[in-house]
Amino acid sequence: MLTYLIRRVLLMVPTLLGITLVVFVVMASSPGGISAQSLVEGQNLDPEAKQEIEAYYNRLYGLDDPPYLQYLRWLNNVSPIGFVFDEENKMSGFSFSKGADFGRSFRYGRPVTDLLAERVPITVLLNVLSIPLVYMFALLVGVRAAVERGRSFDVSSGIVMLALWSVPTMLAGVMLIGFFANQQYWHWFPTAGLSDRLVLDQVFLPHWSSLWDVGLLFICLVLSVALFMSIARSGYKPLRIVFLALCWTVLGYMMVEALPQTQQSLTLFVLMPILFALLAGWLASTDYLLMRQLGFLSSALLVGLLLAVYGMQGSWLRGFLFDRLWHLALPVLCLSYGGFAGLAKLTRTSVLENLLSDYARTARAKGLAESVVLWRHVFRNSLLPLITVAASLLPSLLAGSIIVESIFSIEGMGKLAVEAVQTRDRELVLSITLIGGMLTLLGYLLADLLYALADPRVSYD
Amino acid sequence: MTDHSSHRQTYWRRILGQTFVRWGARLGLGWVALLAMIGIFAPFLASSFPLLLSQNGVWSSPVLTYLQAEDVLFLIAFFSLLLVLPWRISGARKLGLFVLMVSIGGGLAYSYVDPPKLVIYEQYRVAEREGVYDWVIFAPVPYSPKDYQRDLGDTGLEAPLSQAERPHFFGTEQNGADVLSRMIHASRIALGIGFVATGIAMVIGVIIGGLMGYFSGIVDILGMRLVEIFEAVPTLFLLLTFVAFFGRSLYIMMVIIGITSWPGFARYVRAEFLRLRKQDFVQAAEAAGLPLPSILFRHMLPNGMGPVLVAASFGVASAILAEATLSFLGLGLVDDPSWGEMLNQAVQSSRFNWWMAAFPGGAIFFTVFAYNLIGESLRDAIDPYLSKSN
Repeated sequence: MLTYLIRRVLLMVPTLLGITLVVFVVMASSPGGISAQSLVEGQNLDPEAKQEIEAYYNRLYGLDDPPYLQYLRWLNNVSPIGFVFDEENKMSGFSFSKGADFGRSFRYGRPVTDLLAERVPITVLLNVLSIPLVYMFALLVGVRAAVERGRSFDVSSGIVMLALWSVPTMLAGVMLIGFFANQQYWHWFPTAGLSDRLVLDQVFLPHWSSLWDVGLLFICLVLSVALFMSIARSGYKPLRIVFLALCWTVLGYMMVEALPQTQQSLTLFVLMPILFALLAGWLASTDYLLMRQLGFLSSALLVGLLLAVYGMQGSWLRGFLFDRLWHLALPVLCLSYGGFAGLAKLTRTSVLENLLSDYARTARAKGLAESVVLWRHVFRNSLLPLITVAASLLPSLLAGSIIVESIFSIEGMGKLAVEAVQTRDRELVLSITLIGGMLTLLGYLLADLLYALADPRVSYD
Repeated sequence: MTDHSSHRQTYWRRILGQTFVRWGARLGLGWVALLAMIGIFAPFLASSFPLLLSQNGVWSSPVLTYLQAEDVLFLIAFFSLLLVLPWRISGARKLGLFVLMVSIGGGLAYSYVDPPKLVIYEQYRVAEREGVYDWVIFAPVPYSPKDYQRDLGDTGLEAPLSQAERPHFFGTEQNGADVLSRMIHASRIALGIGFVATGIAMVIGVIIGGLMGYFSGIVDILGMRLVEIFEAVPTLFLLLTFVAFFGRSLYIMMVIIGITSWPGFARYVRAEFLRLRKQDFVQAAEAAGLPLPSILFRHMLPNGMGPVLVAASFGVASAILAEATLSFLGLGLVDDPSWGEMLNQAVQSSRFNWWMAAFPGGAIFFTVFAYNLIGESLRDAIDPYLSKSN
């Protein structure tokens, strides 16, 4: 296993070199290329100052050298082992511990490492939050679709997933921000950034001014969850449908009420509650217990929260954590919905294959309950391909964060990438490629390791 | 030989037949066909120039005067397709004939079609208002995509149907051009970029993947590194870099989307070829001493083409998405209409212009969805084990 690991890590090196080489070749062979002249262009300076800055860039980055020399120099700077140069750019020796130097960004004038240290955690946070969401819903839908293959749930979920997959991220982002963060419609979420300035000096957790309010919140949530869940479990279908539909009709009415005056209209007052009621009715009528419970649970939380807010006396502080979550809600939603489709499809295929297999039939013949066969036997075996896919999810999430961060003005790596490319910031572009490639390859590696851990048949010795 | 080709035809006919019994694939194909028709006849659907007018009893058709060479080329391609299709000859001959007709027509179009360089969009509108014409027939959408309607005052970002005297069904964009007209003309870009980019990616992927699968060993290892390199950089980032450093021509964008999206095809073809390599008919072809290209492309490729076709269908969808994304990020075409670029205007100011999100975004969604539906049905037809009815 260890030799395998070492071999894999060593194989990553040529791939990483190749990635940077591809990007460097693109930059060097582009019309105009990267030269000191192209960097200074556009700045309003007198000719002498321009000349001086050009000379400075040339000295600093060797931009007047031939491209292959520039690439080798960059490579030498980045690799932790390499030649050491002195002040006059003369080689002064070979070192094994000189450390990696990513250079300084042309545009920001700051070390690239600093910039990346600021930006990468934000992008990683976005992605780490969306992966569990993607998996949760994909498993929920995929397993059910496999169990009910060919029936209405399978067909309809397949179409809905494919449709979701086809919604461009920017359309979803623009719509979400337009309707739920804009003053013109529901101004519920913040439009940009990751936290409010005010909140930065506040406590970490939400804070209420009186104990009674906390108690009220608790009581409301518990009571409504208990009520909703007991109804969700009831076998009497009309009760469930009528109850949830009524709830959502009221919520729909309240939602239209919350719009600014100019956007309210009679059609909306009629249409919205009806739409909500239909949706809730469909959710309540399904025989799929897990999905029904999820629907009821989220409704319960919403209703409980609304009741508590209505009854509260004093004021409260959002706190850092809640504020961050509040800012992240829309971006994470935007980043994760697209992943459902592929993963749900894969879950379905994988579960289906195992459901039709011999061992599942044996387990059934042995007299095990269908649910035991499904969850104890089939599900565990179906998880294998899903583990590997987590890795291929990563590059697409990184690409997705480029769009999401641009739409929601989040200062992450994706936004930095767009800015770097637009301003032809060579050091930044190369470093971001390197880091992005490294993250992707690490994802692949991790997936392979997990795969080996999960499947005793796989061995790499 | 005839026997062989007819057998292959029935294989493809079977696959396509099984694909297009599914209503998802039919809907998808219908939408794409509709888009193609809109794209081909765009100048007659949305134009500031009248289709037909009569001035002092003399008839003329300004829209024909202003037809670009590429408009003519599209029309020629469409009508030669109509001519060729019902002919009872083999598929390869049909294709050859079609290519011949289009290239002759294209040559003629580019050498003889010469629209006026200076375009004044509002001249006919103004003349009509002054009552110069006896009668005049405008296109259904009487605005050209780049007609910023300077004669009508400030028309930037108007909601749909907010002006009674000059209806814009999908509103106007920030420069004052009609959104519907821009969308109609942008459908060409969306369709073209999907097909050309995927075509390029497919050719590169099939060649590299085929060689990798056939030779395996060292070629395979080197090839897989190349595939990994292109997969490890997020495609969008590579695209961004390419576009930012190479400029923003439509053709460059097609090529770039093509050369960044081939690894998927290469993987599929490699897997198929690894499987096929050991089969009897390939061994027989080798033993018969056939040249390598013949073995690879005449004998192995048609049998390994199924997954590639599926990937191509999804590939067209993602190429369209890629172009839209680039345009959305402000790295697309400069002045030409594009769905992604219009989507960008939805939240540019603090106002939310819903029509700029709903209509162009909806068009992107439906097009991508259509290709994905076709791809899904193709996959089900080729791999019946995973299909719904199983």
